Amino acid sequence: MAAIVIDGVAIAKLIRTELKQHVQALRARGIQPGLAVVLLGENQASQLYTRAKVGACHEVGVYSEVHQLPADSDESAALDLIRRLNRDPRIHGILVQLPLPPQLDDGRILEEISADKDVDGFHVHNMGKLLAGASVYPPCTPYGVVKLLDAAGIPIAGRDAVVVGRSVIVGKPMALMLLERGATVTFCHSQTRDLAAHTRRADILVTAVGRPGLISAAMIKPGAAVIDVGINRLPSGKVAGDVDFESVKAKAAYITPVPGGVGPMTVTMLIANTVRAAERRIASEPAGLHVAP
Amino acid sequence: MTARIIDGKAVAHEVRAECKTRVEALKARGVTPGLAVVMVGDNQASKVYVRNKVKACAEVGLYSDEHLFPATASQDAVIAKIRELNEDPKIHGILVQLPLPQHFHLREVLGAISVDKDVDGFQLYNVGGLVVGDDTIFPPCTPYGVQKLLEYEGIPIEGQNVVVVGASNIVGKPMALMLMQKDATVAICHIKTRDLAQFTILADILVVAAGCPGLVVPQMIKTGAVVIDVGINRLPDGRLVGDVDFEGVRKKASYITPVPGGVGPMTVTMLVCNTVSAAERFAARLTGEKKDMCSTV
Repeated sequence: MAAIVIDGVAIAKLIRTELKQHVQALRARGIQPGLAVVLLGENQASQLYTRAKVGACHEVGVYSEVHQLPADSDESAALDLIRRLNRDPRIHGILVQLPLPPQLDDGRILEEISADKDVDGFHVHNMGKLLAGASVYPPCTPYGVVKLLDAAGIPIAGRDAVVVGRSVIVGKPMALMLLERGATVTFCHSQTRDLAAHTRRADILVTAVGRPGLISAAMIKPGAAVIDVGINRLPSGKVAGDVDFESVKAKAAYITPVPGGVGPMTVTMLIANTVRAAERRIASEPAGLHVAP
Repeated sequence: MTARIIDGKAVAHEVRAECKTRVEALKARGVTPGLAVVMVGDNQASKVYVRNKVKACAEVGLYSDEHLFPATASQDAVIAKIRELNEDPKIHGILVQLPLPQHFHLREVLGAISVDKDVDGFQLYNVGGLVVGDDTIFPPCTPYGVQKLLEYEGIPIEGQNVVVVGASNIVGKPMALMLMQKDATVAICHIKTRDLAQFTILADILVVAAGCPGLVVPQMIKTGAVVIDVGINRLPDGRLVGDVDFEGVRKKASYITPVPGGVGPMTVTMLVCNTVSAAERFAARLTGEKKDMCSTV
């Protein structure tokens, strides 16, 4: 058995085509969805991610603007900018590119974003909605994973899902979203005693740890769907996930490659959340796009 | 092996005694912790719960008041009362007794409670804090009570395999997050779980909150497991039982909670405890102290 390799690039493209239609419908009503990206400092990786986000906005027809603040900005400068963007009617989504410079408190800055414009889904309120099963803006990476599973026709309800990694931006929301869809979910992490004992039971295995080679073929169940959220740069310069791709591919039913799996979905779901934010502004209820996580 | 029966009443008593000491310290500083209970309608079970809460407050030395609305009251009237209580310096915790009548929108009512006074921990901000791992929130009372029971019994959590049965927003999900925060590996099972026993048999600590009497039988548990029964079910003969076959499972487990007298007494106690923590934060703000006296998740 060789796994089907889930093509994140192709699925992202399909979703973007759909989004383009939503944007056109909005523009016909005089509204162009708008995303503001707040960038503090000159972190190279952050610049790269921001460029990818701006490019994706452009492709789909979403207005975007980048606000670059110096690395030594104080909290009040960042908060003032966010407050201004909260009031700006052209802006439907606000994204603060992480990591922030050390003098700034992530929590304080993110909380200032209006919950209605929190398209990254990191605001505490949105996390609360996620737990309550009423999420409006699911965090983009786990949201992208759910869309990949759906697009590949992998059933979730009643399946055994194991999530490895318990970060606030991937692991925990991922587990809650799979739970919401009816999976039996196990949270594993660095303190898990026997990781393989858990992963071997998984029909759906999501790894988001950041350790290359963590998941070997011996650790998975034949026929599993393996979703690799890890992005690791190897000494050779190659980018790899957390999963030993070649050997696991021979045993799994589905697998995502790195790069080209989950990565392209993250940016796409950010755009989806921004479009939804614009649709929510004109309708009192979540509009047609609402693809419940 | 016969399990040690965890005496929830005794642990609750100890936790309340600790709370009492904290209340006395607060009173010496001129602050009496206060809980306001808002109840809409005439639900008999709710009345019993409210009475228990008020009684627990009195026992520990808290001030409490009740705000009763008829079932026909408007949501606006109830929210107006909550806003008034948000501003009331005598009140440090606000609890809206659930369920609310059909015409109420739960999220709007709970959302009106000030985050600082949300001692039930149901406000989205507090719920989100649970996901984020913010340790300044008010943990929801039932899972918080379970965590205290484990702590008092000296049961280690770190690295243990925990299985939570039941994925409710007020017990199962917060419970899973809280125990994971304490470094357990946690599985959440629920009605759609295909083979429940396959999970429960692996649990070092099993927390059952399904509302289904007789759900967990001895064959489903690992020898020496810790079994915490959150279920409360009334049988046709009037008896109250949990979700666990108590007599059978106690022969195989190392610890077990009875129903009644296990988790139940802890829930009300943790509400009182959260209210005392809220009052301590209020007092700290008053005196400008930056003390975090809350016992946290």
